[in-house]
Amino acid sequence: MRQVIRYGLVIARRDFMAVVATPTFLLFLLTPFLMLGISVASGFGGAYLAKGTDDARVMIVIASAPDAERITAEDSAVRKRLYGHDGGPPPIRIIAPESDIEAQQSKLLGGKDAEVVAILHGTLERPIIVHRPDAAQNARFLALVAEEVLRTERLGQKSEQMLSKPDIREIHQNAPTKSRQQSTGSGAVVIMFMLTIMLASQAVGTLAEEKSNKVIEILAASVPLESVFFGKLIGLFGIALVFVAFWGTLAAVGLSIVPASAGLSSFTPVIGTPLFVIFAGCYFAMAFMLLGAIFLGVGAQASTMREIQMLSLPITLFQLIMFGVSMAAAGSPGSGVARFAQIFPFSSPFAMAARGATDPAIWPHLLALAWQMFWVAITIAVGAHFFRYGVLKSGVGPFTALGRLLRKRTPNGAKSIDKNVNSGKVQLIP
Amino acid sequence: MSFTDDRPVWASGLIKSFGKSQAVKGVNLSVPKGSIYGVLGPNGAGKTTTLRMLLGIIDPDEGERRLLGDANPRHVSHRVGYLPEERGLYPSMKAREAIAFMGALRGMDWAEGRKRADEALESAGLGHVAHGKIRRLSKGMAQLVQLLGSLIHKPDLIVLDEPFSGLDPVNQELLERLILSERDRGATILFSTHVMGHAQRICDRLSIIAGGKVRFEGTVDEARSTLPMKAHYVPCSGGEEVRKLLPVDAELGGNGWHFTVPEGGAERLVVELVKAGHGIAGLSIERPGLHDAFVRIVNAVKAEEAEITA
Repeated sequence: MRQVIRYGLVIARRDFMAVVATPTFLLFLLTPFLMLGISVASGFGGAYLAKGTDDARVMIVIASAPDAERITAEDSAVRKRLYGHDGGPPPIRIIAPESDIEAQQSKLLGGKDAEVVAILHGTLERPIIVHRPDAAQNARFLALVAEEVLRTERLGQKSEQMLSKPDIREIHQNAPTKSRQQSTGSGAVVIMFMLTIMLASQAVGTLAEEKSNKVIEILAASVPLESVFFGKLIGLFGIALVFVAFWGTLAAVGLSIVPASAGLSSFTPVIGTPLFVIFAGCYFAMAFMLLGAIFLGVGAQASTMREIQMLSLPITLFQLIMFGVSMAAAGSPGSGVARFAQIFPFSSPFAMAARGATDPAIWPHLLALAWQMFWVAITIAVGAHFFRYGVLKSGVGPFTALGRLLRKRTPNGAKSIDKNVNSGKVQLIP
Repeated sequence: MSFTDDRPVWASGLIKSFGKSQAVKGVNLSVPKGSIYGVLGPNGAGKTTTLRMLLGIIDPDEGERRLLGDANPRHVSHRVGYLPEERGLYPSMKAREAIAFMGALRGMDWAEGRKRADEALESAGLGHVAHGKIRRLSKGMAQLVQLLGSLIHKPDLIVLDEPFSGLDPVNQELLERLILSERDRGATILFSTHVMGHAQRICDRLSIIAGGKVRFEGTVDEARSTLPMKAHYVPCSGGEEVRKLLPVDAELGGNGWHFTVPEGGAERLVVELVKAGHGIAGLSIERPGLHDAFVRIVNAVKAEEAEITA
């Protein structure tokens, strides 16, 4: 074991330096800026698109001239009360009634100059409102305006005059709440998943370099293959740590300038922020190692970039399932799904990180970390075995190994019966 | 063939198959300590597979192996230097770093590796490329860098798979000198080749592998002595009449006769030729080279295999 670690570190050092000491790493480090840029750009695009859509939407009130004036005044007053000066449902357009209301309504709904989402006609006492499926709220707004017109009239007041003088104050909730702690857990799952999938997936192609430039034979002759796998993972993890440290520092600086009034303290995990961060770091390491070991083991079987890409897809999908399970666990702590996600090795790091936000117990984390380490070792050993068998054409295949294992477990009596059956001495009765 | 401590490389009955094809069919090997040992064989004979099994890169399907006395080659890998047939270096690494890395893989400290790398590169005339990246080196230079990397930890056993291929004559000579100096240092060298010249010059002992089996084991002279000596005789006179006195395989070529020296030696034949008045204008007797012995053994194996197939 000591040898595996020792030589693993030699390989890790080589891999780490080969990546970090290059200009391309800087580009990789700044990749999230590009992602942020894309998010901002698509946000602007989306906002423009939404604004354009909203601008085209209108509500129609088919009413006579006197009603139209009252409705317009009340619409303005209600909007001011509910939303301030801006916002609220689409604007109301008043149209004089025609002889055939049904036909007029159909014509308005089919009109191309504006998207009519709701139409009010009839009297104010018995308004008839039709609306599109996604505009129920708009219909209720029209009903409210009609109601307010009548109320204002009966009270004998002006539309904008209010009977009460509300004192509206903003308060900040700083004490941690359960729902916010769950949000912290979910946030941890999302961040860990994004980091893991982005950084660990690089493991899939790392052995391709050694295979293409034939260094693998030197490595295989010098050190145990487990060292090669372990070293590659540690090297990549070192790169991931540089990445996380850089962005973690930026995030910490960003959070430190957020004012206390923002209420971030209500998101404090139940085990405390420092311990939560430490555990999240450990779980990230485990998630990275587990996923990286799978990527590495599977990628090692591939000979070309095309094969590597094809092999990456099922692993990514598998990891997405783990993400979904972990998110479900974060959303329902203590449930059966949560327990499954915390025990199943490949979702355990995410689910346990989420658990840290809502459960104060420490010992399950220590147990989970040991459990996950055990699975990291198994995944590396299996990956190395497959590599030895699939690439170096040495050792036994997975099915042969399974067969041998099963034969070992077969009782002697059963073995001798099999032998007799095979030799024809015993006839099996159907 | 039993194992003894003075055999850094020992193997008995090694068998290895890839799918349905049996690449190695029971190889036995016993390399004396401090010797230069050649594994000769035609392409596809099973040399590389045998070396890989000896080094523990792959496991044999059957048979036993001992490397530096240990049944598990992994346990002694820090005492072994290996140059594979397919050369492999990281193109983005600097030459001295590549050598230090190979030393580190064999348990050496990085700093010590760099120091020795500088010395080794300097003595091999490659001091000027120490800080150059591998991708900028010529193929021959990169090959030498890799060789230096495999020797940097002063191994007790050096295994070289086709070390001369890809090198120009000057570098081939440099490599021969390097191998001899490593032997003088006390290391045991095992190398594979199908170029007989190098083997004939530097091997203390050798094995000829063909068809997955060892067909000959011994010294270079023993290999050569498997073939009878050849004579080249130039008579003073006599023309075609000389043929009557010469062995049946005698052929006229150039300015004289070529024939196999009879089993008892050439003395009696020389006396008869002189008595018959043909005289001796020239006579040379040569032992056939390793090349001839190799070709004869390989051809015999091919014939044997063809017979079995038929």
